[in-house]
Amino acid sequence: MVLKKLFGPEGYKILKKGIWREHPIFAAGLGICSALAVSNKVENAVAMGAGVTFVLIATAIIVSTLRSLIPQRVRIITYMITIASFVIIVDKFLKAFFPVISESVGPYVGLIITNCIIMGRAEAFYIQNKVYHSVLDAVSNGLSYSYTLITIAIVREVLGFGTLLGFRVMPGGWENWVVMTMAPGAFFLLGLALWISRAIAERGSAEEEA
Amino acid sequence: MKPIRLLIDKLYKIRALNKAKPMLDAMDAAMFGTDETTRGKPHIVDTIDTKRYMSCAIAALVPAALASVYFYGFRAIMIIAVSYAAGLFVEFMFAVIRKHKIHEGFLVTGLIFPLVLPPTTPLWIVAVGVMFGVFFGKEVFGGTGRNIFNPALVGRLFITIAFPAIMTTNWQDPLTDAITSATPLSVYNSEGIMAPYLDLLIGTQPGSMGETCRIAIILGGIFLMFTRVGNWRIPVCYIGSVFIAALAGNHFLPEKIAPPLFQVLTGGLLFGAMFMATDPVTSPFSKAGKYFFGISCGILTVLIRSFSANVEGVMFSIVIMNAFTPLIDYIVLKFKFRPVKI
Repeated sequence: MVLKKLFGPEGYKILKKGIWREHPIFAAGLGICSALAVSNKVENAVAMGAGVTFVLIATAIIVSTLRSLIPQRVRIITYMITIASFVIIVDKFLKAFFPVISESVGPYVGLIITNCIIMGRAEAFYIQNKVYHSVLDAVSNGLSYSYTLITIAIVREVLGFGTLLGFRVMPGGWENWVVMTMAPGAFFLLGLALWISRAIAERGSAEEEA
Repeated sequence: MKPIRLLIDKLYKIRALNKAKPMLDAMDAAMFGTDETTRGKPHIVDTIDTKRYMSCAIAALVPAALASVYFYGFRAIMIIAVSYAAGLFVEFMFAVIRKHKIHEGFLVTGLIFPLVLPPTTPLWIVAVGVMFGVFFGKEVFGGTGRNIFNPALVGRLFITIAFPAIMTTNWQDPLTDAITSATPLSVYNSEGIMAPYLDLLIGTQPGSMGETCRIAIILGGIFLMFTRVGNWRIPVCYIGSVFIAALAGNHFLPEKIAPPLFQVLTGGLLFGAMFMATDPVTSPFSKAGKYFFGISCGILTVLIRSFSANVEGVMFSIVIMNAFTPLIDYIVLKFKFRPVKI
């Protein structure tokens, strides 16, 4: 239990919760819209996952540092302003260094502002907790968002384009599954992933109770 | 029969096959019928059950299936066999994991699905389509009787969207076996030429395997309605509303909307109206609902055929109306059984 020692018992619990028990997409149903839209290619998924994780961490730091200074009435606006400024940084960064990805991810980077995970975590966790714990929560939520996106993107890219990260992986006669490149394909895959993870989680909680 | 009985009894006793009990039950029931009786009220003095329902539907599909084998030969048999094998695999998996019985419903789905495919469909696409249809169209919702959409249509739509190049341009001319990209409907859309009605009736025009021989479909449909397994209201309303909508549309927009008789005899309309729209699970159970369902399907079909990028609209219109079925029944019941005002 190196991790437990490294992050402290409380921190370890937060990490575990974010990655599995309170998985933002599977357990809470947050951030589904961008998960459906951006998971068509692995590179887009990686960029989007990294962007969301970065914005989450930055928001966690700012909001939890200022948590005693933010007036109750204007807290949502405060989150919005914080998130929006970091989203602009991500957007400009992608435009400058990865113009191709920026082109294909398009408006969805801007829409990180309305990504429910960030607003949800800010309201549920960062406004009440210490900086250290908030950052751990942001990391775990960002990671679980990213790995879900990337898993779905791997299936979608292999079936829909016959490639993985742009490299051809399927044999020559491969027929592209056009449906996988469209949103409906993502719906089916996300539904499947949700089903599997819920089934596993249910089994886990039944064992814990027994 | 005796050796089979003994064999099945023996199989029941093998420990290792305990998990596969639904499979054995299905074999048993298929060979010897079931000795189960309904527990609880109400009792109806008739032997009609899901099994007989499905047997009648399959019997009604036989003429169309035979016609497809006659026109497309061994290829048609292969496609039907793959459809059954792949679909039954998913069905068995769910029966074993969910521990329910294997329903006869699949026997109909597994025969309808290959009949609405182009005869040139690669076999692996047939397998993907039927597995998707059974999985997402039926089992996800809880199995036979609980599905919202017709499983065969779900599978067909999925492969149509997933492999548009293969599914919409590779038709086979039944007379010359040449691959053509044109069906009577698409020829009409692009060049305005109508195929002769007699060819359409007999089935010598390209199209989906079981949809081309309209005489066989009409025979099967009449059988279905005669045995009351398929209600007559939906097909009659469906075909009638297509006819009337096309009549009116052709009068005002002759270059966009095809004449009525041509609309009725082309594409999958007859097959869809007789065998897919009448599916008792996914169509309304109330009479008024059935009329509304049929008429809406017909109008949607004409609209999609004439004004959208798709040449054929039968599948889409039936699936769209499937989604409205619970709402239609709900509204009908609301109007019919209002609380008495005192």
